[in-house]
Amino acid sequence: MKRNKGVSQTAWMAIVAVLIIIIAVMGVAWYLTMPAPEEEKPTLTVFSLWSEGEEANFLQCLGNFTEETGINVTHYHYTTEDLLIGVPMQLRAESSVADVIIAPWPAWILELASEGHLLEATNLITATKYPTSYINAVKDANNKIWASPFKASGKPGFWYKTSFFTDNGLSVPTTYAAFKTLLANITAISGIEEAVASGDTVGWPLSDTTEAFIMGLGGYQLQEDLITGPSARNWTDTEVRNVFGNLTELLAADYFSAPAEWTSQITKFWDEKYGIYFMGSWMTTMSQIGDVTDLDFFPFPGTDGVGGSVDYLIIPKYAPHPDEAKELFQWLSGADAQEIMVGLGGFFGTHADVPATAYTTLDKKVLDFISQPTIHIVSDLDDAVGGKFQTTFWAQLRLLWVSPTTTTMNDVLDALEEQALAQQT
Amino acid sequence: MVFVFYPIVDTIYMSFLEKGTGEFVGLDNYAEVVSRKEFLDTKRLANFFGGPSYGALIHNLLWIVIHLPLVVFFGLLLAVFLRDVKGSAIIKTTIFLGIVIPLIVGGVVLRFILDKDAGILNGILRAVGFGASVRDWTVYPDTALITVILGSVWIWTGFSMIVYSAGLQGIPVDLYEAAKIDGASRWRTFWRITVPMLKPATIVVVTMTLLWELKIFDIVFVATQGGPGDASKVLAYIMYIDAFQGNDFGTAAAIAVILTIMTFGFAAYLVSRMAKS
Repeated sequence: MKRNKGVSQTAWMAIVAVLIIIIAVMGVAWYLTMPAPEEEKPTLTVFSLWSEGEEANFLQCLGNFTEETGINVTHYHYTTEDLLIGVPMQLRAESSVADVIIAPWPAWILELASEGHLLEATNLITATKYPTSYINAVKDANNKIWASPFKASGKPGFWYKTSFFTDNGLSVPTTYAAFKTLLANITAISGIEEAVASGDTVGWPLSDTTEAFIMGLGGYQLQEDLITGPSARNWTDTEVRNVFGNLTELLAADYFSAPAEWTSQITKFWDEKYGIYFMGSWMTTMSQIGDVTDLDFFPFPGTDGVGGSVDYLIIPKYAPHPDEAKELFQWLSGADAQEIMVGLGGFFGTHADVPATAYTTLDKKVLDFISQPTIHIVSDLDDAVGGKFQTTFWAQLRLLWVSPTTTTMNDVLDALEEQALAQQT
Repeated sequence: MVFVFYPIVDTIYMSFLEKGTGEFVGLDNYAEVVSRKEFLDTKRLANFFGGPSYGALIHNLLWIVIHLPLVVFFGLLLAVFLRDVKGSAIIKTTIFLGIVIPLIVGGVVLRFILDKDAGILNGILRAVGFGASVRDWTVYPDTALITVILGSVWIWTGFSMIVYSAGLQGIPVDLYEAAKIDGASRWRTFWRITVPMLKPATIVVVTMTLLWELKIFDIVFVATQGGPGDASKVLAYIMYIDAFQGNDFGTAAAIAVILTIMTFGFAAYLVSRMAKS
């Protein structure tokens, strides 16, 4: 039988070759039309000074950013000392672990910017949406902006427990004389250790209290002059001596406690070991406050100024993920993020579009107080001056607090003047 | 060479440069540092019993004058007493823990010990009826420096105890037996045999402790931050603040050089004594 050859071997080979080509073309076409695999988004790192309640609120805010963008953010709480000193060391070594850093020291920020360690923020925010003073504080001589004001806090005055005042028949003072009487009355109450709690850590609660005296007894302009430095005002001037003289008198009368760790002092304040505590608006978020509806404040009697502090966002030049860092920076600078943040309590938005309805009742009361036309918001003195003056200020106040004599006061003012002069030159 | 000599040379070079401009300013940084009250407060020093601050230089010397004898005394005492005690290894290990923990942790522990509300020292004072003396010991200028110095004795005593224990092992038993036969009392044996034979160990303890005291920083930084005012500042602390808070590496380097010269001087003297012994 004759074998049916059918299709020749060459034809078979041609068919196979065509099939291979078709499959290859289809494969290439499929590959090219296939959507690109999604790049895994990086996890950003943020440093700030916030812990406990403040950190919890900030994490909640960051959670919203992650929901919106898919970018995870890890937050690290730094102590004042670590942030103030540790971060510049990192940046001067031209490296950065953090993508975004939040710090309340404009002088520190401008120094890092002048050394070339920060990314410029001029084009990342709409400067007109923020208070001019907040922006000017982080603007260099070339009008370049190096940071964005994320949120602000005020130091409205002395916090007290309303039930404690009611139970002991105490009333809010409206004059300095009434304030002194209040301190004497609180001291006389059984179980009270001292009338006023004094917080410490590195010294900032003492400096905040002192600044309240400077503005309350010397006026807001005095504080602004002291920030400008010896070219405007000396620490040894009569007006400054008068303010410190009054403060020293109250310290000598044992109305103030010895400085102790500031959060443990809140616990003691709430346990009625102290009657009042000078602290910033973040007091309302502290976990040691058992019932925030039982908390209230009164301003330093007759003051025309309130210390304000702004938490600024900065991006290190060496941020591991600069593009995503800018995204987070812009989101936190916006009204939406700030609305979330102020709704959680303790702070004020810096963006003009944050609605007044976003605030908690007590924060709104603080905001209303500091927004009065008669009240000037002045930068935190030691934050604004910065440098070695800041640690000198803290250390000297800690000395005055525990050794309140005229001699010590004069030594303290001399030391501050010496450091202010050294820093100005 | 790279890790030792380059930093030394660079630090010396930096100590002659001005902050910011980096211009050569000769000995200006040294003059500026030495003229500071936080370095040496001659006015307060003249009225010594008025209390600190006397300046960091004097505070460092006070560390040496107070801390060193106590460390030597307690180390020797513990080594001698624990020599023939059964299970002394456990006690010695416990005492030696002070030297093993980081000094920062030691500072935190010290701060807790001296705390007004939570501190064990104040707890003891309350328990024995001295409640009126209770205070935050690190907060006041008259007590900050002395309590930090005294409170640090336990941290370094473990070191001297171990060195002395090793020294005691090296003393021939024959000497003690001969002294016993001659009728020497334990006290006399201690002073005439133990102490002289431990001289090399003493020089090691003194040298190492002295160097530790001259460069003391961590404990002061954590427990008092050099305060209140300048009351407990030491040279290493003001060097740190100048460099990293004031961003003035010129004056910080000048302090480092001064500290090195002091350390080198003390060390050279003690090493020569050691060589002779």
